Amino acid sequence: MRTRRLAASLALALAVLLGSPAAAYAAEGGGEGGGPVDHAAEECIKLLEAGSKIDECQEAPNPILPEANELLWGAISFVALLLLLWKFAFPPLNKALSDRSEKIRSSLDEAATVREEAQTILADYQRQLADAKGEAGRIIEEARSTADSLKRDLTARAEAEAAEQRERNAQQIAAERDRVMAELQSQVAGMAIELAEKVVEGSLDREANLRLIENYINSVGGNGSTPSGTGTRSGS
Amino acid sequence: MDEQRVDGYATAMFEVARVEGSLDEVEDELFRFARTLEGNDQLRSVLTDDAVPAERRRGVVGDLLGDRASPVTANLVSLVVGAGRARELPAIIDRLVQRAAAEHDKVVAEVRSAVALDDDQRKRLAEALGRATGKSVEVKVVVDPSVLGGLVARVGDTVIDGTVRTRLDQLRETIR
Repeated sequence: MRTRRLAASLALALAVLLGSPAAAYAAEGGGEGGGPVDHAAEECIKLLEAGSKIDECQEAPNPILPEANELLWGAISFVALLLLLWKFAFPPLNKALSDRSEKIRSSLDEAATVREEAQTILADYQRQLADAKGEAGRIIEEARSTADSLKRDLTARAEAEAAEQRERNAQQIAAERDRVMAELQSQVAGMAIELAEKVVEGSLDREANLRLIENYINSVGGNGSTPSGTGTRSGS
Repeated sequence: MDEQRVDGYATAMFEVARVEGSLDEVEDELFRFARTLEGNDQLRSVLTDDAVPAERRRGVVGDLLGDRASPVTANLVSLVVGAGRARELPAIIDRLVQRAAAEHDKVVAEVRSAVALDDDQRKRLAEALGRATGKSVEVKVVVDPSVLGGLVARVGDTVIDGTVRTRLDQLRETIR
């Protein structure tokens, strides 16, 4: 509707603008009829006869200042056009400009709102990022602490186990050494006893045996107690 | 039950030996046979093997004691072995010896020696053991070369050991 009215206003203004020179020309042609030309010729003839030159009988029109009637009709047309424009064209144009301004303003407001929202989102994002970085740092620190603690525990445990193993090895070595020494001592003792037995068996002839028997009899019966070199035990 | 059976056999053998009038000799021979039986695994396994017929076991006894002991001793041992009581024979004989000693108010001293003792040594040993134990002692000697030298006497639960073997054993323990 608004566009249609605007188009109609423009068409009217164009018609007025194009019709104004024709009306001025018609008014100029219709009013004089061929009289002015003859009058100018008569005036020129008179001047020439009076001894004037030809240039004085023909005055060139002013190239800048229009004729008075053109100026009048132009002013009237301009005023009429201005009124028509004022009446019909300017209000839609003003309204369109106002709407455009309002639209731009609302767009700017919306852009500002969006910008604020973006700022808010950016701030939230940055805050969350900072929180995430802080949480990540805390987790890393906690993991590092846990790893250190675990490392200390494992190290301490490994050292304790190593010490225990060394102690066990030392005990085993000592026990093995004692066992070997005892075994060696036993073997030496056995060899010594076997040697002693052989010596005794070789030297114990009947006479020696009889002396031992006599000693036994004398020892047992001598004081009524356990004889020297003999053992007394109870039990079957 | 075993004790009753041992007592029964010991009493019967004791009475037979006493009736035969050779108690001391039979007692001594039985004692030596018991010690021989204890120290000889092969002999003990033959005489205690139920799979060996009784006649065969008695034959072994006869071969062993026929010319080394009195007929009474050989018959008594043959009786017990033939009855399948060879395993209890040492205990029966020990009981018989104790009973015989008790008849004279004596206790039995089992003496082991590497060499045999003569009568004088036995007598003096019996007197010495009697003084040591405070009892009247009857000495029963077992020749055992494993003692190497010296004597060991067992009187009841008391053992008086003066053998070279024991001294060597003590020396071995001391060195170890």
